[in-house]
Amino acid sequence: MKKKCLLFCLFIILIPGYIFADHVRISQIDSSGLLLSQEVKLYVSVTSDFGKPVTGLNADKFSIYESSDNKNFKKVSSISGFDVMANYESGINFLLLIDNSGSMYQTLSGKRPGRDEDMRISHAKRALVIFLKSVSNPKDKIGLAAYNTNYTSYSELTNDRVKIQGYLDEIVRPGKGERYSEIYSSVYLAVEEFRSVKGRKAIIVLSDGRNQPYFQYTKKPHDVFGEKIFKYSEPMEYCQLEGISVYAINFGPKREKKDKGLSTIAYQTGGTVFDAHDQNQLKEVYNKIVNQILNEYLITYEATMEPADKKFVKIDYETPSGVLSAVRFYFSSTVFGNPMKDFNFLLILPLLLAIALLWLLTKLKFENKHTNPSLEVLNAGSAKASTNFFTLDKSKKTVIGGDPGADMTLSGGATKIKEKHATVAFDAKNKGYTIVADGNLTVNNKPVKTKLLEPGDVINVGGTTIVFDDGEFD
Amino acid sequence: MSIIMRRIFLCIIGMIAGLAAWPFAETTLLFQPDFPSYLIFSIFLGVIFGFVMGGFFGTSDGVIMSVKRSVFSGSIHGALIGIIGGAVGFIIGQAALFIAGNILIQSAREFNTVGFPVSRAVGWAFLGVFIGMVDGIRSRSFDKIKVGIIGGILGGFLGGLALEYSRLVVNNVMFARVAGLIIFGLFIGLLYGFVESRLSFGVLRLLNGKYKGKEFLVNQRKIKIGSSVKNTIVLSGYDKISDTHAELKVKGDTVVIKKNSPKTVISVNDDKVEEHQLIMDDVIQIGSAKFLYKFK
Repeated sequence: MKKKCLLFCLFIILIPGYIFADHVRISQIDSSGLLLSQEVKLYVSVTSDFGKPVTGLNADKFSIYESSDNKNFKKVSSISGFDVMANYESGINFLLLIDNSGSMYQTLSGKRPGRDEDMRISHAKRALVIFLKSVSNPKDKIGLAAYNTNYTSYSELTNDRVKIQGYLDEIVRPGKGERYSEIYSSVYLAVEEFRSVKGRKAIIVLSDGRNQPYFQYTKKPHDVFGEKIFKYSEPMEYCQLEGISVYAINFGPKREKKDKGLSTIAYQTGGTVFDAHDQNQLKEVYNKIVNQILNEYLITYEATMEPADKKFVKIDYETPSGVLSAVRFYFSSTVFGNPMKDFNFLLILPLLLAIALLWLLTKLKFENKHTNPSLEVLNAGSAKASTNFFTLDKSKKTVIGGDPGADMTLSGGATKIKEKHATVAFDAKNKGYTIVADGNLTVNNKPVKTKLLEPGDVINVGGTTIVFDDGEFD
Repeated sequence: MSIIMRRIFLCIIGMIAGLAAWPFAETTLLFQPDFPSYLIFSIFLGVIFGFVMGGFFGTSDGVIMSVKRSVFSGSIHGALIGIIGGAVGFIIGQAALFIAGNILIQSAREFNTVGFPVSRAVGWAFLGVFIGMVDGIRSRSFDKIKVGIIGGILGGFLGGLALEYSRLVVNNVMFARVAGLIIFGLFIGLLYGFVESRLSFGVLRLLNGKYKGKEFLVNQRKIKIGSSVKNTIVLSGYDKISDTHAELKVKGDTVVIKKNSPKTVISVNDDKVEEHQLIMDDVIQIGSAKFLYKFK
């Protein structure tokens, strides 16, 4: 008897503390009111042994702190709202993660099955059908995934229970290299898939409870993880960070040791473990989960204005045995980002420089100076002009044409250009330049044979646009 | 000034605007913890930022057209519109940033290198829209507002991305932000100029006189031409031009030029006209000034 008492005492001392302690978690953080009302909402879950929700608490039991570095926390001025049963309206998102490893094709007691319906996988599927039928809130959404050596997603979140039931039939016996049960890595990947979903989230793992990393058993690198072997703490911490609860339904033989890691993940994330041998318990899975989630506390507070890209929120929950804490963060970055450390008088320099540069720009005048009369090619079209700018000489005639010896040679154009297509010469009588055409040309879009040119006249020779300017202005 | 030069000037003014806005933004950021809420902080920052950016951007038309009066009036109008634009832009930009940030911080694996810069750039894009719209609102032109929205959102997004990535490259927050703001201004100017050109209905190129070679984009539904500084196209240094001599109107896809009063004279292809629907390569004479209507 003494021996038994001693063993019991040892068991109490050595058993992990977290299993028989309260847990506090920030299961969801809603900062959508941050810009307009400065409010942040926390969905806080307080659970006791085996995930049972702690009800009847009031705001006095909680204190909230914010930090920009997850080290120095500053208490927020006040809690402005405290509610319970806050999640019913928005529904819950469930991800069903079913074990499809080789061992799931044995009976519950670990023997070779005579009939398919005796296999663990068949039990698991039936359990899921029971679960799907018990989902009573139409706003709840359900997704489906399975795992063995690999993680496979079968359905995104949907309200359609029948559709999910249909996907169950697609889960078939794994091939030779796929029979291992990568529980921890699969829960990790499930979180990865599930984390971007808004709202309250829960992962339900149906498993025979044995984590069998592929690399550990085969000594061959896994296709995705290589030689990495996941510890149970990795998906657990990821779930905690993302506010996802894990509920495990165990299909292993009654006497067989259950995977402690999966149980720990469940308890540490505010979930719990169910036994598949107990049909009544299975029927209650949904109600238990919903009951736990609906008993979360909704705490609203006014956010601080400390600059930070992401702000950490810590909630302290007072229990008779001490203070329990939970931390999460929300996105709080501003368009400009974080300030520099101190004001620097050198900041005035860029402003002065900008004003000076703008002043200089206003001083720039894009005016032309008086020049000599000229012909300027604006657009050569398909032809090639020997020069784009030609200064006219009063004493000489200027020839435009295809002749290489012309003053302005236009060659290779689609339209034929005569060797001496046009001549521009100073007309002393009219005190201006006159164009005389030998071939076809237009001035200001009008065919001409001869014309006294005015400043700005546009001459078109075989598709080449040339502008005449006398260079004079006031 | 040619269209290319106009674009270069828009870029330069954008960069100067970014440079000028930086010290104001930096100083305001220092006081973030003293603001009562993100809303008031965003409004205040937007007002300051919009005032400076709008004030500098508002000068662009005056600087490009070399009209001093337009530089001052544009600056004042730009600053006033910038105050409203900046405040609205910052609130929407901040809201977009919070929404994008909250989604991406949950889903993007590489949040610091992808999610975060993209979230911020979304915020900057909205800010760019309101800064880009300053000139359109000032000239009461829906087409220019449209240009501002598209140019601003693209310029803001790309500039915002550049700003965020310069932050990743340059460790010093101060230099990263000033470099980023200059790039932000540059992109707004660049994209504004690009979109403005793409959405315009052609170009009027001056063929003679003091401002020979200067090009004017037909980028709004109504353009007044004359010697007064009140006009969109100001012709100083040319003869026989009335205060407001002619008017260009965009009707659907066509551009029509008409006399502003019975006393004025305008010619198209050497023919005197009351009103004329322009086609490409038309030569327009207003007083002693001649324009070529050409493709953008």
